[in-house]
Amino acid sequence: MDFLWLGLQQLADPSVFLTMCIGAILGVIVGAIPGAGAAVTISILLPSTFGMEPLNGMTLLLGVYCGAAYGSAIPAVMINTPGSPVAVLTALEAKPFVDRGEARRAMSLAYSSSFVGGVLAVLALMLLTQPLANIAKNFGSAEFAMVALAALVLVIVGHNGRRAEATAALAFGLFLATIGIETAFSTQRYTFGLSFLQQGVALVPMVIGLFAISEALIQLTARGASQPAVQLKGHFFQGFMEVFRYKRALYGSSAIGILCGIMPGVGEFLAQQVSYVMAKRFSKEGHLFGKGAPEGIIVSEATNNAVPPGALIPMLALGIPGEELTAMMLAVFLVHNVIPGPSLFIDRPEFVAGLYWTLLMMNVIIILFLLVATNAIARAALINKRFLGVLILTLSLIGTYASAYNFSDVGVAMVFGLLGYILRSHRWPLTPILLGFVMGPILENRFRQAVGGADGDLTIFVARPISAIMVAAMALLIVLTFCGWLKGRRQPPAFQINDT
Amino acid sequence: MSEPGTEGDGANRLESTALTVIFAGISGTLLLLLGAATKSGSAGADWWTRPAFAPAVALSVLVVANFLTLWRELSDLRARPPSVQERAEAWDCFTGWLRPVEFLAYYAAYVWAIQHVGYFLGSLVFVSWLLFRVGLRQRRWFLWGAVFCVALIGIFRMGLGVWMPAPAVYDLFPDAARTALIRWF
Repeated sequence: MDFLWLGLQQLADPSVFLTMCIGAILGVIVGAIPGAGAAVTISILLPSTFGMEPLNGMTLLLGVYCGAAYGSAIPAVMINTPGSPVAVLTALEAKPFVDRGEARRAMSLAYSSSFVGGVLAVLALMLLTQPLANIAKNFGSAEFAMVALAALVLVIVGHNGRRAEATAALAFGLFLATIGIETAFSTQRYTFGLSFLQQGVALVPMVIGLFAISEALIQLTARGASQPAVQLKGHFFQGFMEVFRYKRALYGSSAIGILCGIMPGVGEFLAQQVSYVMAKRFSKEGHLFGKGAPEGIIVSEATNNAVPPGALIPMLALGIPGEELTAMMLAVFLVHNVIPGPSLFIDRPEFVAGLYWTLLMMNVIIILFLLVATNAIARAALINKRFLGVLILTLSLIGTYASAYNFSDVGVAMVFGLLGYILRSHRWPLTPILLGFVMGPILENRFRQAVGGADGDLTIFVARPISAIMVAAMALLIVLTFCGWLKGRRQPPAFQINDT
Repeated sequence: MSEPGTEGDGANRLESTALTVIFAGISGTLLLLLGAATKSGSAGADWWTRPAFAPAVALSVLVVANFLTLWRELSDLRARPPSVQERAEAWDCFTGWLRPVEFLAYYAAYVWAIQHVGYFLGSLVFVSWLLFRVGLRQRRWFLWGAVFCVALIGIFRMGLGVWMPAPAVYDLFPDAARTALIRWF
């Protein structure tokens, strides 16, 4: 009880409340602008949060993350253009609603299911994180190494239809993480005598290059005009109550979203696809999916919004980020010397409790904002793409420079920007690069400690029960994936992960 | 060439294969450089502590994954030989890579310019030039661009206090004005 009270005290801090509101509103707006989105915004904002208190910085970024999940539904419904890849299913299901003149009903369904999914996921975060952290207190280096390895395996398995490319991207991220001074012997790895590489590849320029500059280049070189937004008609609150008529779809998809958020490397896109396929299979109205089924919108939005809080569970409890946005946020922890993991609940209980409450309150703020501002935000979604590209490219400079006050970082960002552009234009996934980069040092250090402690005996990973279970689970997952690949190699995959 | 970021995997197959060849070549070269690029630190070190161990694993996986991708793409090209049109489009696709390079060149010039004329003026010129270059040449776009630059200054320089090096051009101003310019613009 004291723990929760501590969190409420944090929330009552005007600076925390203000950053929460700014982050949430900004998130909704950028989420509604196709091409802007959470990844671009968080990468640009990231250096600005280094000077803030840890809770303020995290609240701002989480506000953008959660707000964008809500906001992406607006263009999906009103201009039939998903604000982000995860709103594709919403756009598909909402089109028949719009054609029937029920755009407002579709919007209400999207908002209310997003709200329920988001709130349930925050409750799961509150209930599950500390028990998981308590279990993690028994973890040694072998277990942490296997958690990190499992996350990498999940990243590859999750990229159905693009596994070879995802593996290459992941390995590239792992390689990038090894560049610079190596700590055990203080020797250099792949620096080629260049002094700016001795500190290794910096996270912020890499993230801004891969996600923001590449997006700007795409927008600047894109052609095509925006569609006009539809006018909202019908009763706004109709859909708010309607979602509870589809309890199984609502709660089931929220649960899948939370579960997939917890599993490192899975992410919201795969979560949504799994939810959609399962809901279609088990629904009495499965034949209506894709033709304007309310359940289709509910499943898409509830899952999408349940993932962000779910992804925070492994990050707070184990220090393992769930996907690319939490991987970026890990930088905020590291800058402020806040070490995520089991000790976080002992060392910084006020931070964790504050995070819980701000996340919960954020959902309320966002839904209230959407009730009054949807039409205005829909107009923002129609922003000219080339103008958006100019804005993102200009913002990316100050974002990169502000991280270390070093103009050479801008050069690094440009290289990654071009790389990101080329990879995206060929449908190579970018997320595995970032996850490999963040997880690489964790895996290397924990592996060294575990194997060193066992005097080079690799059976240490199967000699300890928790580690052995993880090894067995990974082996089973790999075998099942391989069998599935052999079985379906002559058929196109049901869906492909395209998080670019 | 399909527009990046659009739906459907419309990339030219010859271009994709060429890209994979480049990736495979770079990753293979990096792996060959392993011995030279990672100093062993201690000859008698255990295998798991050797500095080369982690990059060796990462690069080996990278090489294998790149060659798997290449093998798949070559198999596809053998099974479905590229059409005359696809061959003709391949060159356009390669030259299409130059389009982002042009914008990155402007970006590099922007980085250089703000160290000489200041952040605000540099941003204003950069934004205006980009708007002109991408065809947004009506007055309202330049007005929006100027508003954006003012907002940029307001949020990052005045609000968040991001420091920028003083450009030489500010030396031309009187001390009081120079101080204000260095601090806010």
